[in-house]
Amino acid sequence: MRKIVIAGGDSKAEYIINSFRKQKDTQLVVINPSKEVAERLKQACKIDVRHGEPWSRRALEDSDAFDADVFVALCDSDTDNFAACLMAKEILSPSKVICVVDNPNNVEFFEALGVPSVISSTYELGQKIMNEVSINELAKVVANVGTSLEFIEFRVLHEHAICDRFIKDIRFPSYASIAAIVRNGKAIIPNGNIEIKARDKLYIGTEPVNKKKVYDYLQSKRPLSALGAKIAAVGENVRTQRANRKKNEE
Amino acid sequence: MKKTTVEKAKEKPKFEEPRTRSRTFVIGCGKLGASIANDSSRRGFSVVVIDSDPDSFALLEENFSGDRFVADAADLYALKTRGLPAAKEVIITTGDDNLSLFLAKACARIYQIPYIFVRFDDPDMGLLLQRESNIRIIYPFQLSRDYLNKLREEAQGK
Repeated sequence: MRKIVIAGGDSKAEYIINSFRKQKDTQLVVINPSKEVAERLKQACKIDVRHGEPWSRRALEDSDAFDADVFVALCDSDTDNFAACLMAKEILSPSKVICVVDNPNNVEFFEALGVPSVISSTYELGQKIMNEVSINELAKVVANVGTSLEFIEFRVLHEHAICDRFIKDIRFPSYASIAAIVRNGKAIIPNGNIEIKARDKLYIGTEPVNKKKVYDYLQSKRPLSALGAKIAAVGENVRTQRANRKKNEE
Repeated sequence: MKKTTVEKAKEKPKFEEPRTRSRTFVIGCGKLGASIANDSSRRGFSVVVIDSDPDSFALLEENFSGDRFVADAADLYALKTRGLPAAKEVIITTGDDNLSLFLAKACARIYQIPYIFVRFDDPDMGLLLQRESNIRIIYPFQLSRDYLNKLREEAQGK
């Protein structure tokens, strides 16, 4: 049974409560600093809601929130959430603390000041926009792990030099690594004996500073002679299939 | 390489030399903050007072010689542009314990200000600053209680 503490928040809290309320393996502990909101959540979600300030030691100690797996701070004020997360870390020792902030600048400040997981919808939106427009339509950043690692999604085309080659034969840059390949909707864990095909989606982990170099490498085209040979092989294959079909029909 | 928000905030303001930590910052110009600012100014300290409410500066004396700025204390960028990273000491008397906690931590960890003084109403806030050696905390509630008890003992001793 996992225990999730939801501290503060009005409609956000209601959404999260409703997302987890019916899961039998989840125990929710809800604390809200507003008496009115606490009462409203109680009625709307049919759940016990404790009225108290989640940044107060006493409120946390009285709330049955010990040994929580996750503590989520959703108060309106960023600094209230900051204090609630630090107090929860001190008193409850949850496995994970999540702090929601309005001011996107606070994401990195709060992380630097001891709150490990900070979420800002504006910050996330900014990152998403930056990632979407940062490379081009073939490649985009799909995940950021802190500020030191990013995962790029890259769609392979026939013309790319890495296409139709085994991973063991590709001299992939040392600053990047293929984490997964998705082919026809199915995930493949890469190893040296996997051949990269056109239309594969590669998920590549790299540092943000090397993103452009990785993209340039992936984007490099195969020599025209090789491409010509490939086209000829495909053409030959099509011709053979047609001939076989004709033969069968006769 | 692109700088992170924290790295940008750590940068010293251009108008002040990084090594000259000479100014006293008072964040929160209520009765206590204004009184400390007035006293420091009279004693010749270079003082900067910050508050989000411009009316609060009415508590400063006429001959107050320091700077006064209207700024949201929760906005570290605003405080940075007022020279906070080069402060020698910071006195935090905002009236909001959670804001004071954030400021005290930021002054200690991000700006490494040598002397930080903070007032809290809730005595449990000290728990969250145990590891910060350059922060000193006062709790007016405890000071009042202790002083009152002392007065009672003195009165009863007579």
